Amino acid sequence: MSYKLIKEKLAAKESILLDGGIGSEVLRRGIRWRQHGIEDAPDVIRSIHVDYLEAGVDVLTTHTFNLTKRNFINFFRDEEHMALIGATGLPAKAMELCRTAVSLAKEALAETGMAGTVPLAGSIAPVMHLFRPDLSPPENDCLDHHEECVEVLLDCGVDFIFFEGMNNTREAQAALQAAAGFDLPVWMSFVPGMDGNLLNGESLSNVADLARGNGAEAALVSAGTIPMITKSLPNIINGSPCGAKAIIGRYNPPSWKPDFYPCFEDTDEVSPEKYAQEVNSWLDQGVQIVGGSSGTTPEHIRAVRKVIG
Amino acid sequence: MSYKELKSRIDAQQVTFLDGGIGTEILRRGYTWASHQLKSEPELNLEIHQDYINAGADVITTNTFQLSKRSFRNHFANDEHLEAIGARGLLDRAGELIHESVALADKARRSLDRDNCLIAASITTLEWCFRPDRSPDVEKIYDEYLEELKDYADAGADIFLFETFNSTPEAEVAINAAKEIGIPAWVAFVPYQDGRLLGGQSMAEVADAMARNEPDVLLLNCAPPDHITAGLEQLAPLWDKPLGVYAHVGKFNPPEWQFTDEYSADQHLQECKHWHDLGATVIGGCCGTTPDYIKKLTEFFS
Repeated sequence: MSYKLIKEKLAAKESILLDGGIGSEVLRRGIRWRQHGIEDAPDVIRSIHVDYLEAGVDVLTTHTFNLTKRNFINFFRDEEHMALIGATGLPAKAMELCRTAVSLAKEALAETGMAGTVPLAGSIAPVMHLFRPDLSPPENDCLDHHEECVEVLLDCGVDFIFFEGMNNTREAQAALQAAAGFDLPVWMSFVPGMDGNLLNGESLSNVADLARGNGAEAALVSAGTIPMITKSLPNIINGSPCGAKAIIGRYNPPSWKPDFYPCFEDTDEVSPEKYAQEVNSWLDQGVQIVGGSSGTTPEHIRAVRKVIG
Repeated sequence: MSYKELKSRIDAQQVTFLDGGIGTEILRRGYTWASHQLKSEPELNLEIHQDYINAGADVITTNTFQLSKRSFRNHFANDEHLEAIGARGLLDRAGELIHESVALADKARRSLDRDNCLIAASITTLEWCFRPDRSPDVEKIYDEYLEELKDYADAGADIFLFETFNSTPEAEVAINAAKEIGIPAWVAFVPYQDGRLLGGQSMAEVADAMARNEPDVLLLNCAPPDHITAGLEQLAPLWDKPLGVYAHVGKFNPPEWQFTDEYSADQHLQECKHWHDLGATVIGGCCGTTPDYIKKLTEFFS
């Protein structure tokens, strides 16, 4: 298991580099956002992974953020309604796509000869919209949902689970509980709001402590702008492994789609060099794991690699 | 044709034709539905409207389904968050695109010398149309509707078509706001296979609520033909004012559409004849239908 290498690095206080935006990169490369681009353009997704590997990441993340059964059911009144008016094969679709997404990441690892050295993080998003903590369902729903996601990713052979963008304490707790039944390391990242706390106003340091106390080997902040991420850092830095990655550009969602759509504009306002400088200041403050959220590209990650060395 | 003339035709139970799918037609023609393609592909929008007018539609619909300020806002935790992380001008975008959409529909009818074709503003529920569980608090949404309707009124829409509604309380707010603006309201609800609304209300409840609010036309839409039939069989005996239908054909494949051959234009026409027998006189097509479907209808009924 290549996660062992990461564990050693974490213990030795070495910096760890994650990849950058994947969904936003799919769109930036001109691929239509349906089924995460997995059916239309598997080659593009594989090459995004390869580009991040060549940029020097220590961990590769699967293109599975927001790719769950629930993301399809959400468009319908309920499962029965989906079965009646939804496309053929829709109930099984998300999990099939998840499996393909993991395969594409593995192919990229094999293609670059990094299969034994770079571990694969299985990305799991919040049940509902990344930026809508108020829509997060009751604890039991969260638990069932995350359990199913963990099970599929584990079965596909990811090296660890990365819960990304948790936006409220209840769901974070349910996600940790869902993963606890499986023998797999877990990381968890949180979305900060304007004030450096969790997006729904709850205490970020409390939820980060809760994550660490319930098996998360690293606590991170993600999916905030650079100022939001910077402001939130004191709430997650406590000497144990912690990380940060920021969004660049401005979220540009369509009106007709109720779930997260990784379209970001004005991303050129933060050049790779500028992003790397920001990351460098996070590292100076004690952050150990760094990467990029939506909007960042392989060039941003390459620039960060340079400053990490 | 003025709206008054159209209404007297409808009141006289003459068959009146709507257009067919627009979003799905954009997809079928090889484009995504990003930003409704209103600014990026105005010619595409124009052509689709023209094709429906040429097919014989009396009323064409704006390409504005699910286009509202709230739909953009719904992607953020709150307005402060939107301001910090969202695209510039996002809260003005719905209003701008609404103006664009009405202008394109108007351009289409003028280009074909069909000023007598009327423009219906497509307005759906504030929250996701197929999720009655997410319906907003109706006490708090009147001003929001009013603001949105003003944009359509300023842009020159002739009719407010409240479509794919899943419950009557939200429709009542929308109709009341339309009355304040002074533009006629048509209301279309989604029926389910059991003949009730998607939100669970019976057609008796729908008829009661609508009798109090008096939309000029009451319709059923955005459901497969068998659900439309189930709903219409319940509703028609309870409603003696103008009644309409427009069903979808194919399957919803979020975020796009799966086109199937389950209901060809000819089979769809057979369904429409049945619905006409049941009492529907305002007829068109919803998602998945094309100008050919409308042409079949207009050729048969005219």
